[in-house]
Amino acid sequence: MRPARAARSGGFVPGSDPLPTFSRRTLLTGTGALLAATLAGCGTGSAAAPGDPGPLRIGAIPDQDPEVLQRLFGTVAGSLSADLDLDVEYRPVTDYAAAVSLFRTGDLDLVWFGGLTGVQARLQARGAVPIAQRDIDEEFHSVFVVNTATGLAPADDLASLADLRFTYGSETSTSGRLMPAYYLREAGVDPEGFPGGPGFSGSHDATIALVASGTYQAGVLNEQVWRSRTESGEVDPAVVAYARTPAYHDYHWLLGPGAVARFGGGLGGRLTGWFTGLSAGDPDDAAVLELFGAGSFLPTEAANYRQIEEIGRDLGLVS
Amino acid sequence: MTAVLQRAAPPAPRLRRDRRRWVWGLGGLALLGWALAGSGLLSGPVLNPAGTGQVGRFLAAAVRPELGAEFLRVVAGSTLVTVAYAVLGAGLAVLIGALGAIPASRTTWGRRRSGWLLTRGGLALPRGLHEAVWGLLLVNVLGLDPWVGVLAIAVPYGAITAKVFADLLDEVPRGGYRALLAAGAGRGAATLYGLLPPAAGGLLSYSFYRLECAVRSAVVLGLIGAGGLGYQLALSFTSLRWEQVWTTVYALALLCLLADVAGRAVRRRVAAPRPGSRRDPLLTGAVLAVLALAGWAVGYLALSPAALVSARTREQVAYVASAAWPPATDGDLLAAVWSASVETVRMSVLAVAFATAGAVALAGLVARPGGPTGPGRRALGVLTRLALLLLRAVPPPVWALVLLFVLLPGVLPGALALGVYTLGVLGRLVGEAVEEADRRPGDALRASGASPVGAWLYGSVPALAGPVLALALYRWEVVVRDTVFVGLLGAGGIGVLLSAATSSFDWPAVTTVLIAIVLLTVVVDLVGARARTALR
Repeated sequence: MRPARAARSGGFVPGSDPLPTFSRRTLLTGTGALLAATLAGCGTGSAAAPGDPGPLRIGAIPDQDPEVLQRLFGTVAGSLSADLDLDVEYRPVTDYAAAVSLFRTGDLDLVWFGGLTGVQARLQARGAVPIAQRDIDEEFHSVFVVNTATGLAPADDLASLADLRFTYGSETSTSGRLMPAYYLREAGVDPEGFPGGPGFSGSHDATIALVASGTYQAGVLNEQVWRSRTESGEVDPAVVAYARTPAYHDYHWLLGPGAVARFGGGLGGRLTGWFTGLSAGDPDDAAVLELFGAGSFLPTEAANYRQIEEIGRDLGLVS
Repeated sequence: MTAVLQRAAPPAPRLRRDRRRWVWGLGGLALLGWALAGSGLLSGPVLNPAGTGQVGRFLAAAVRPELGAEFLRVVAGSTLVTVAYAVLGAGLAVLIGALGAIPASRTTWGRRRSGWLLTRGGLALPRGLHEAVWGLLLVNVLGLDPWVGVLAIAVPYGAITAKVFADLLDEVPRGGYRALLAAGAGRGAATLYGLLPPAAGGLLSYSFYRLECAVRSAVVLGLIGAGGLGYQLALSFTSLRWEQVWTTVYALALLCLLADVAGRAVRRRVAAPRPGSRRDPLLTGAVLAVLALAGWAVGYLALSPAALVSARTREQVAYVASAAWPPATDGDLLAAVWSASVETVRMSVLAVAFATAGAVALAGLVARPGGPTGPGRRALGVLTRLALLLLRAVPPPVWALVLLFVLLPGVLPGALALGVYTLGVLGRLVGEAVEEADRRPGDALRASGASPVGAWLYGSVPALAGPVLALALYRWEVVVRDTVFVGLLGAGGIGVLLSAATSSFDWPAVTTVLIAIVLLTVVVDLVGARARTALR
């Protein structure tokens, strides 16, 4: 019998196979055993010892410069961890709604939320407490911007925006959607009634770029982002500020109920103390403050966000 | 002799046009016309020339991607995460597919069709939702666990793999299987020894194809926060840091290229096995390499089966289930779902039409020519193939924003964004179809004096039209699922509703929208399948 025939009929052909000849059964058993061993190995490896509270997991909504925040968040985690003697871990998130969900599931213990996402998170995770806000968050503003081609000069009258192609930022952004929509309605403009429907650019920077291109003739964004982009000269001259909203409460740190249960009731107070104690004089503290664009952090309370919750319910963003 | 003459000549096969094809062709044209009419393309200005500067910034960044050591380190780590998700997701999908193929195959049920129909219907649910939608749902149940990324790929891929595996098993020659049954073997043994061996090549080939697709899906999952390259891309995209976006796009393109080349080598070898040798070292090596990679990925992602059945997971499943059921049925929502579905169909038709036209136009350049060619033609071919690779490496949401700079808001930017991305995929597939087509009719026409255009029109096009249209119809279903991504930015479609419902945590509305999406994909799938049978 020629070797090829022998091989086809399953016979043994010496030297016909460059690989070690192990039978199919050996291969399958071996692979199975290997997989089982790996799975068993990591199953035991990741289990936490009882009594160990594990790390404090912090996160942030992807609002302003999320890539900087994510890549520099080590600063905050390191500083917090050294001062409070806690194991701190930063877990990045790319989506506003995902940040809220992860806070509910307990994957994130301490999150930097916007006003509206903070309300959503508190409603889903009962017992969560606001810890601190920045000095600028007590009186936060949004800026309506227009393309120069509209010929609009800065004014307080939002009614002239009604007939323009208009874009918000992210859907559940407080400064890029919720509060502007509220003030538009106060001014008699239907916040959903722009020609072709309003757009949702997805981020403050995308709003600036889309208004600069003229695709949308007007838009609205977080004043802090607008300031930082104008100061660094990044803004296309085709976009100009048109109006500024009245002040409202916005961003804050929110602590989840799971963390309090794990680390003890004093955690909230200690965190508030740490945040409010950050001073611009200390170089380490200054790095954290600069990352958040804050002069200092202040204590805050749930009552500050009652108006946001009411508006959110009115606009169908809180259910 | 006379007997032969007296017999009536056999009727020559009448060359007549297949009426069904005409109906489908005209129907397709009508659908395209309707989609075009709704796009605003025919009724007013759609261009926004003032936005070219913004597009220029995007394009200019392509030649100076961010190459700082710190960022490259981040990208390298993310690439490993993406690979790990892709390998485990595809691996688990093949496992699910192999098990699911049993109840999904006709062989199992024999004449009892009800069980088969039920299984097939059941598979439509996991298949109808995009990987990213699965990811969003799983985040709500599993949190930040790496299982989110793995399962988001494995669930929809597993369902489609089960269907394909079942079809492969049903279609192989059944001589051996029948002989074994007749000799008294049980059905299990007969399947193992009579059906599996002849189907093994097809099964392996398809498994590797899934692995290629999983790489692209793993990137998309990053956009919803599961980590990896897509995640870094999403972060940089939020602040429009185009230099960083391009770095991740290049990393991604490289990864896709590797997966494409390796997967194609394996599939080619399966299609044309080397004669003689008993076990092909290339195939054995590829399978062992993937298994080793999977073992590494389990460790790298720290995947623990315990997380799937933990008390917290059960609690979160209960929370989501009780919040999401029953679905919302108020009239306003249903009306919105209906009009969004219509818009989605419009968008998908425009996208597929654009991609098909582009793919056909580029096919001549993409396909590697059969004969000897000059260096200019070869360089042009390589450039076109690289351009297509980049088109499919940039995710649709990025295309949507970039196109929105130069187009006015409406259905068109979203449709074109999907079209450009699909062109990247379809261009390659059509190119492969051209390479594999029979060149002889064209050559014969040319040899008998036909002009190159005439030879192409009469020699190549008739043979290619069927496969190309079939590919386009396959992609149509995929595009319908992808529209979920580009809905924002005023582009419309059902993605807008989904995103509004998820971001306001209106779970009953989420359920309604998801049901609508599944129904939409089922309908498109059925129409596509019918149209493909007419093409055969």
